Amino acid sequence: MSKKVLITGITGQDGSYLAEFLLKKNYQVFGLTRRTSTSNYDRIKNIVDDITLISGDLLDQYSMANAIAEIQPDEVYNLAAQSFVPTSWTQPVLTGEFTALGVTRILEAVKNAKPDAKFYQASSSEMFGKVQETPQTETTPFYPRSPYGVAKVYGHWITVNYRESFNLFAVSGILFNHESPRRGLEFVTRKITHAVARIMLKKQDKLQLGNLESKRDWGYAPDYVEAMWLMLQQDKPEDFVIATGETWSVKDFAKLAFQAVNLNWQDYVELDQKFVRPAEVDVLVGNASKAKKQLNWQPKTSFKEMIKIMVEADLEREKAL
Amino acid sequence: MKTAFITGITGQDGSYLASLLLKKNYQVVGLDSRKYSLGYENIKAIKTKIILEPGDLLDLKSLSNLIKKYQFTEIYNLGGLTFMPASWKNPAMALDINTLGVARLLTVIRDYSPKTKFYQASSAKIFGLPKQSPQTETTPLSPIDPYSVSKAASHFLVNSFRLHDHLYAVSGILYNHESERRGEEFVTRKITLTAVKIKHKLANELVLGSLDSQQDWGYAPDYVKAMWLMLQQDKPEDFIIASGQLHSVKDICEIAFSHLGLDYKDHVKLDKQFSRQIESKSPVGDASKAKKILGWKPEVDFKTMIIKMVENDLQLIKKENNL
Repeated sequence: MSKKVLITGITGQDGSYLAEFLLKKNYQVFGLTRRTSTSNYDRIKNIVDDITLISGDLLDQYSMANAIAEIQPDEVYNLAAQSFVPTSWTQPVLTGEFTALGVTRILEAVKNAKPDAKFYQASSSEMFGKVQETPQTETTPFYPRSPYGVAKVYGHWITVNYRESFNLFAVSGILFNHESPRRGLEFVTRKITHAVARIMLKKQDKLQLGNLESKRDWGYAPDYVEAMWLMLQQDKPEDFVIATGETWSVKDFAKLAFQAVNLNWQDYVELDQKFVRPAEVDVLVGNASKAKKQLNWQPKTSFKEMIKIMVEADLEREKAL
Repeated sequence: MKTAFITGITGQDGSYLASLLLKKNYQVVGLDSRKYSLGYENIKAIKTKIILEPGDLLDLKSLSNLIKKYQFTEIYNLGGLTFMPASWKNPAMALDINTLGVARLLTVIRDYSPKTKFYQASSAKIFGLPKQSPQTETTPLSPIDPYSVSKAASHFLVNSFRLHDHLYAVSGILYNHESERRGEEFVTRKITLTAVKIKHKLANELVLGSLDSQQDWGYAPDYVKAMWLMLQQDKPEDFIIASGQLHSVKDICEIAFSHLGLDYKDHVKLDKQFSRQIESKSPVGDASKAKKILGWKPEVDFKTMIIKMVENDLQLIKKENNL
């Protein structure tokens, strides 16, 4: 019989790639979705007939407990969150309720209804914030600098706590930024590739950006969801950093994105203070040696290839509109 | 006139802090969460001098109403779910009160009263199994239970808001601090109270999880002075407040029982049920920074504190039982 998996955040970038990946591995895939007035199934429209969507909410303990009890999943991936850092400053309490408290609710549900299920928590490099060492590994102390980062640290530690105290197979994947054509438009990478496509098609003239010198370790989301799965196939539960180990600036990203359509970025990019993030985190760069060694995982898609994929996808989409 | 808002005013620290601030001529307003009728005994003596306002850390509206109305000079957030073992039974509640409560207060301060100074009661428990000893303000956090995780998250949250919104917001990392007003579920008070009951034949034995467990224990009235000092500085900074000394549960038993002319060995029974699931190594704090910058130091030593607690429990038990 095929294995059963529950994914929270299945309509998001990572959730949709992970669902596709697990379907190929013959899993029976269940996704938790919140009922909203406008449906948000864009990213799962190709697989929606192959998966089972369950109505539930990370804010609602009862719905979580029911979902776990009914499905009896072999694996649970908690990818849902309020995941946009700037929003966490305007809605810090809600961010905490989803991103931190939600983890506790699922862990409680797993502990009570399916304690032998394997649990994956989506941790984030934003937990390192003001970095205490470079590059960051699984043992680097956290120092989050936004309510989002703080909530993710809570989620990380509570996962480790449940593993150590109740012997759950619960792991936390500390994923550095990962992008794709399915990244939300509020994120800088997608904002750039989307603008490049629109500028190319003369639908837009300029692109406004905040801090061009901001540097991140950017990987390709489909490569990263494979690492999530690998973490749950190990003999013992452990946390892993997933990263490319390379850093590129927002400027590098913009330059390459415009280059992909033979345009010069300097002709289109304007600086706008309103997009500058206060209390900006330092240069984040991960060391994924542990994942390479134990999971035999490494990124397959280069930074340049990823940008090309994203620009082409946005061009296709914009042309079709 | 300075005004101070204290959440958790009926608790040990809240009640001592209220008395201290009254002496300093503050107008003191306490948050009165009607859901938990805890600790009114602690504020009996000052009840007519303070204002109790209904509200709850879980209820944003109640907090914003009060903060808008009073425009407090200082806010001390001492309210919360504070008994660590209980946080395993209700981890979501611990986070909602202890961490999201802080997020609620900080957003209201930022939006409606940005000059208000904010004190957050952090805890030595955020160090979990400490990576270095003694711990300082720069020791990495490594909490190991839901209570400590919620406190560590609120610690970082205060830090983020200080940096991002330039609030005068600080965390005091206080090590264990005890007193006559400590709750009976905490081991220090459990020992002094039970010893007194045994002395008066009102109890037969004292059941403990472990005698060897060690902590850095200070006296609560000394520690609330440090809270106030932290809000009187030129710039907002976090401080460790600790005695710097480790004592064991056995030490408490020895002092408490011998003060009553008893030998603890005749009365103490060990029961694993009371030992914690993961017992943390013994955290011990280095309060050098507080000594240097705040001019703070503990005034009551460990032995004196335990004896004060025993004496107080003697009075209490005598009164309760008409002895």
